[in-house]
Amino acid sequence: MTPQQVFPRLQEMQASHNDRPHLARLGALFSETVLLEVDTVEHYLTFEKGKLVLLAEGPSRKTPWRFALRTDADALDRFWSALPEPGFHDIFGLVKLNRGRIDGDILCLVKNLRFFKEFMALGRQEAAG
Amino acid sequence: MIAHLEPITGRYVNLEIEGAPVRIYFEEAGTGTPVLCFHTAGADNRQWRHILNDEALTSRYRFIAPDMPRHGKSLPPEGWQTEEYLLTTETYISTVLAFADALGLDKPIYAGCSMGGRIALQLALRHPSRFSGFIAIEASDFQPAWYDIDWFHRPDAPGGEMGAALVSANIAPQAPSVERWNTQWMFMQSGPGVFRGDLSFYTRDDSLVGQLHRIDTKRAPVHLLVGEYDLTCTPEDALRTADAIDGATCDVMPGIGHFPMSEHPEAFRPHFVAALERMP
Repeated sequence: MTPQQVFPRLQEMQASHNDRPHLARLGALFSETVLLEVDTVEHYLTFEKGKLVLLAEGPSRKTPWRFALRTDADALDRFWSALPEPGFHDIFGLVKLNRGRIDGDILCLVKNLRFFKEFMALGRQEAAG
Repeated sequence: MIAHLEPITGRYVNLEIEGAPVRIYFEEAGTGTPVLCFHTAGADNRQWRHILNDEALTSRYRFIAPDMPRHGKSLPPEGWQTEEYLLTTETYISTVLAFADALGLDKPIYAGCSMGGRIALQLALRHPSRFSGFIAIEASDFQPAWYDIDWFHRPDAPGGEMGAALVSANIAPQAPSVERWNTQWMFMQSGPGVFRGDLSFYTRDDSLVGQLHRIDTKRAPVHLLVGEYDLTCTPEDALRTADAIDGATCDVMPGIGHFPMSEHPEAFRPHFVAALERMP
């Protein structure tokens, strides 16, 4: 996977995400923008009451975000594999392996952790087609 | 559908731990060599449900799985409402010994996971004569926290659900979905501040560091089990620990995380059976 291939994957994930009522319920209080930075490519994900309403590519110096997940394309590709290797199976695993970093309001992430982790895991289903 | 009545029985025992009366709930199944089964932080004895339902094992072993005070169906000690719960190694050890005494157990095997595994090593160091052997699951001498334990006890957020979402990082992707969610349910149900209080000792007490060489496995064997997907106690942590204990053995379990007996009972079983066979 290249950093440029992330955005189309996110678009597929957006459709899957918004089709899942339980994610809207889990994210009912989550109305935030999240930065997903893959290598140096920025992606801004704007959630509104649990729905992913806007996807935008960076770079942007004007888009405020609540928290950021920064990783590299190879790590994200391995994270999104159908059966990820140990450590690549979870966003905190990426952090522990020094292949990911979480910046910003980490408490906001932790309060909505199941919601955000289930969103990120949708990339595996999209990879599997 | 035919109803299935499980062979597990649950009872309560009233005892004193460090001078305070407590009412401990425990489940047991089987006859034979007694095996104490202790759960992880933030959960309860239901983590052992599959082992206690394993008729091939319960024909040879008497498995006894308590809920630690404040966990599962064991109530907290009187006065908890104004106390900050911070579990200590000493209190955990006192709980294990008081429970074994209350049930009149003679040299049981001790099996514990995560914080229960850490205590297996502490017991092997401090009280080897009280047990016939130790199965230390997801256990190491020490590893620092990769999270902030204060996340899990806040007035503005559900600590149990946040804890469950965090520990899902420690469940292997191979875990059957139903068991993955059963495992997380226990964390979601844990009492206020319990996960944080358990983790306070687990993430801060490094008193085993530099002491492992003093464990005498000739008195009671020590066998470690660790899941390859465990982010908290990694295989490297467990192997390092086993290497420092003369005579200890360690088995790395593929496709398993931090909650082996609960998240993937079928994959865990052969490793646990082999561990039991190493015990006298």
